[in-house]
Amino acid sequence: MAAVNHWDTTQHLLLVILGFFVAFAPRYLPIKIFTQRKIPEWFNEWMKFIPVSLFTALVVKDVLVSPTYQFDVVHHIPELIASVIVGLIAYFTRSMALSVVVGLASVFILAVVL
Amino acid sequence: MTKLVPDPNEPKWRSTLKVAMPLNLSYIPIGLACGVLLHAAGFNTILTGLVSIFIFSGGAQFMIASMLTINAPLLSIVLMLFFLELRYALLGSSLSKYLIGTSERFKLIFSVSMNDENYAVNYLKFATDKKWTPREALMVEHYSLLFWTVSNLVGSLIGSALKIDLTVVHFALTALFLYMIIMQVKNRLTILVGLIAAVLAVFFLVLTKSTLGLVISTLISSFIGFALEHYLRKKKPNSRFLYSVKSPGSKEAAVEESDEN
Repeated sequence: MAAVNHWDTTQHLLLVILGFFVAFAPRYLPIKIFTQRKIPEWFNEWMKFIPVSLFTALVVKDVLVSPTYQFDVVHHIPELIASVIVGLIAYFTRSMALSVVVGLASVFILAVVL
Repeated sequence: MTKLVPDPNEPKWRSTLKVAMPLNLSYIPIGLACGVLLHAAGFNTILTGLVSIFIFSGGAQFMIASMLTINAPLLSIVLMLFFLELRYALLGSSLSKYLIGTSERFKLIFSVSMNDENYAVNYLKFATDKKWTPREALMVEHYSLLFWTVSNLVGSLIGSALKIDLTVVHFALTALFLYMIIMQVKNRLTILVGLIAAVLAVFFLVLTKSTLGLVISTLISSFIGFALEHYLRKKKPNSRFLYSVKSPGSKEAAVEESDEN
């Protein structure tokens, strides 16, 4: 990938600074707000389902959606098979390290083979 | 594979490092790849270090690199970053109940270095280990930040001398999230919510053509989960959806937290 961008360092720095603020605000404000006041029980009950929903959405984005946001199964066959393998490894071993290592190895091998 | 035997005398820096290590190691290839791409997009090494520390988000940094190579205007990159980072609001909201009682300064420092991956690690620890403290969670964040930043810097320095297949190394994070999903499953309802989340995520990602779809689908599917659970517990306490799912790898249910309120 050749360097095709003509920005100078000042512009890059400006991007980093602005990027910091747009990343920081959503990180900080909910933590600040929801640790201060009494949180209603239903809110916590709702938030309990955030991890499973968000992680699923992130995985789906990686294995079912193309970089141009099209639904795409055909180009993701190695990832899909590797996902099943990772799921099984995680379920039976409950080891994060093993899941990641086996996942990487299998997607690497599958990408070569398929 | 290390079997975790809790040692009460183990120093905190080492026990938290053990918790963070799988994440740290998966950051190395991805961080290298990210550094290479930022270098190709014209970022110098110092700026690459800054962006790794202050934005600290793989997704955001890959997006910056790719948008710079197509010469997108500054404002549209920042706007895309904002949509991409909006999901951190969800992380903070769901983690906040574990951070009650920490100082204002702590919350500030904690939120600066929170991202998807270290949130995933910390949420799992908070939900399954009652002794897990915000301080330890912050150490996990900083370990992952260290590994991420150093990998980015090295990637930036070796630049294009290194050929990394991005789609392959990126799968390390996918595998990490898959692992986290499996750990979240505590009853059949969680599996159903996961399926709903998957369908909605595809739908909204394709519809919005941006990562905003992640935020919308997560909000809706988690709310459906909440509403379903509420309904089932009230009306059908014997529903099969509330049967707990136990993994053969462990004697306890994955995430038990509904009982501690």
